[in-house]
Amino acid sequence: MNYRKAAGNIFLKVVVSMTVLGAGFLFSGQPVPAAEGSETILMATTTSTDNTGLLDYLMPSFTARTGIDIRWVATGTGKALKLGENCDVDVLLVHAPASEKSFIGRGFGVGRRKIMYNDFVIIGPASDPAAIKGKRVFEALQAIASSDNFFVSRGDNSGTNKKERTLWRLADIQLPEQESWYRQSGQGMLTTINIAAELKGYTLTDRGTYIKYESAAALVPDLVVLVEGEPVLLNQYSVIPVNPRHCPEIKYDMARVLSDWLAGDEAQSMIREFKLLGKQLFIPNAGQE
Amino acid sequence: MEFIQEGFSQAYALLISRDPATYSAVIATLRASGLAMAASLLLGIPFGYVLGYFNFPLKKQIRIIVDTLLSLPTVFIGLVIYALLTRNGPFGGSGLLFTITGIAIGQAVLSLPIIISLTATAVEAADHNLRTTLMSLGANRRQIAASTLWEVRLGIIAAAVTATGRVLTEVGISLMVGGNIKWHTRTITTAIALETNKGEFGMGIALGLVLLLIALAVNVSLAGLRRRI
Amino acid sequence: MDIYQIRDVDHYYGDKQVLSIEDLSIPEGSITGLAGPNGSGKSTLLKLMAFLERPTYGAILFNDKKVAPFSKEVRSRVTLLNQEPYLMHRSVFENVAYGLKVRKKSTRLINRVEQALNLVGLTEPDFARRKWYQLSGGEAQRVALAARLALRPRVLLLDEPTASVDMESAGLIRDASLQARRKWGTTLVVATHDWQWLYETCDTGLHLLHGRIFKGGLGCAVSGPWRFGEGDMLLKELEGDQVLVVPKPDEGKNVAVLDPAKLKVVMPGDDPQLNTDNRMLNGFVTRLFLERNGKTVQVAIKVAELLVTLRMASSKAEEFKLYPAAAVRIIYDPREIEWF
Repeated sequence: MNYRKAAGNIFLKVVVSMTVLGAGFLFSGQPVPAAEGSETILMATTTSTDNTGLLDYLMPSFTARTGIDIRWVATGTGKALKLGENCDVDVLLVHAPASEKSFIGRGFGVGRRKIMYNDFVIIGPASDPAAIKGKRVFEALQAIASSDNFFVSRGDNSGTNKKERTLWRLADIQLPEQESWYRQSGQGMLTTINIAAELKGYTLTDRGTYIKYESAAALVPDLVVLVEGEPVLLNQYSVIPVNPRHCPEIKYDMARVLSDWLAGDEAQSMIREFKLLGKQLFIPNAGQE
Repeated sequence: MEFIQEGFSQAYALLISRDPATYSAVIATLRASGLAMAASLLLGIPFGYVLGYFNFPLKKQIRIIVDTLLSLPTVFIGLVIYALLTRNGPFGGSGLLFTITGIAIGQAVLSLPIIISLTATAVEAADHNLRTTLMSLGANRRQIAASTLWEVRLGIIAAAVTATGRVLTEVGISLMVGGNIKWHTRTITTAIALETNKGEFGMGIALGLVLLLIALAVNVSLAGLRRRI
Repeated sequence: MDIYQIRDVDHYYGDKQVLSIEDLSIPEGSITGLAGPNGSGKSTLLKLMAFLERPTYGAILFNDKKVAPFSKEVRSRVTLLNQEPYLMHRSVFENVAYGLKVRKKSTRLINRVEQALNLVGLTEPDFARRKWYQLSGGEAQRVALAARLALRPRVLLLDEPTASVDMESAGLIRDASLQARRKWGTTLVVATHDWQWLYETCDTGLHLLHGRIFKGGLGCAVSGPWRFGEGDMLLKELEGDQVLVVPKPDEGKNVAVLDPAKLKVVMPGDDPQLNTDNRMLNGFVTRLFLERNGKTVQVAIKVAELLVTLRMASSKAEEFKLYPAAAVRIIYDPREIEWF
């Protein structure tokens, strides 16, 4: 055997065997997902639409109807808007009206349309030590702020967090930050509810996540709904195609097709029929003011 | 605590029912880490070898930098790779954001310092008699370099095992660069993060067990390789 | 013909001089023994002779040619067996075949490897298939030697080949090296503490001290502490109230050496007229040893804590009726003591 060949073999054995091992994994049977074609759009949305299963329920119908394949990144509203601003996605489905307006105002998005809403509720221990049950939202928040009971905030600039900050402002309370009763979890809604339960505190949540929490908590949930049903607690979801003048490369036309479909009769009635654990989660309101 | 038990039975169910979402996440994980490992081994072994074998100016400084990069946090790598791959970023035109290849680039950045540092250490730790022995048996410079590489192969495999462990289990890069897109870039670790956020702790445990099984398979094959060579 | 000619070689590691050899020739096909304490430069000399390193100053001629590391005159022809053998992490076969493979002499590889293993007494079938970690220390050393013998080298340099192996391996290693000389005329240079190697096997013995070749290894090397004496002299106080007087050392040297050729042995009571400059030491014989030529005897004399070895004609030893434990006197001239 020629030595040069042997030395080559040696080097190849080490490097290539690992490379082949890796490559073996790459092509091990499973069909490779369809490559990104022109028929695919990318949407940034909030965790609430994805975690509840709404998108998995809706989007196959959209693809069947239009032939457009859709993928989505589910994240906090803050990051979703950032992805739109950076032209990384074609369309947004988010729920933070004030930020959305500034997003459009700065020329990043165009043609915002309301699609549906659900609502926020304030939840807390069944014993309700701050006595907020039945109070109006602003009174309830004042009661919590002036008591010793914990309030757990998402603290992550998500849609829910933005809503919470709006409510403090409307209730005429300086935005809490380091107050001893105010805790910011920096995590998702369900984790935040669990933290509130551990601390016997209050928190603001969307109803969908609360329903999941309630069902997981078996018979008696630690936290119950104490304040609900006011217009200010509504949580409006809108679809916003990214502005093609800001991002010439995005697929604006297909984003419009999605927007039209979501606001159309088929999607609207599907949203009305969507139930989580037997309860309706979202109320369609496309075209309403 | 019952969700741990639930996790075990769910893991079993996922595997025998060939749950398509789980298999898609497994494939995404293997493709991303396989690509990342291939790239980082191809770049890292020669670089680490040069760093350990030769003496040159700034060698010590380069070594310190490489060792410092061992502490790169994955979320930070994810953020930097995102900044590079975003459409408004310098490589925005490449279309690699939210793709497996994008994740693999980030994971290769994670793995590269490990491969380089451990390869260099293995080469430096080679017996000081090795060089004189090879030279004395008539090897020329190139043959000495090649044989030294072969002599430290076990150290290089150890580097690969360590790096594979980190790459398989990282979540920060996959989440930030991959976007956790179902059927496409959802890996096992981002799926665990998602299930945990959704409160599906049992499912999270199940996926974690699946990931451990993959790690076991990878290590068994590397151990086999180690025995054979 | 001399296969090696070493001229004015000075070798440094950093600022430290480790070797200084003015003139040394080694005839082809000879067996040369290298003796000397640890750190005396034996390993360094072997490395230079193996052309693994280039001497800092001076030249080593091989076959009358100046050669450098990796040059084709010496590749695969001059080979060194290290004190601690390194076996590559491969099978015994691959270890022994390595030198043949890198030389691209791959015909009859299996045969050559088998022959080499037989030479060192590793005749077990399937021994070649063993892994490097399945060998004892002696077996590893023999495999390492077989790897060198497989090359059929012109020069085989051995650094303490038997220092850390069992007796059987030591014997086999010696026999295999001698066979190489018989079969292929291989020149052997052996650094060793092994008395048998040095005095019974080697044609010539070289003794190294502080990197210099030292008077055939006889005499005695004395190191401090020293005390200032009269004039320019230094004194070393020995056990039993004896004193050794030496001249002032040259710059950078710290071992005083008694040259055996300049020492004179007398019997007690047989005292000659002492020259005013001469001094005397009392001791007794510890060992008498007939050299290979059959005509000279090495006499080791214990003087306090020193051991002085010198050579005399066997007839003279007989005349003196020397026997171990016999009391003798050594006469020396302090001005003739040199520093190393």
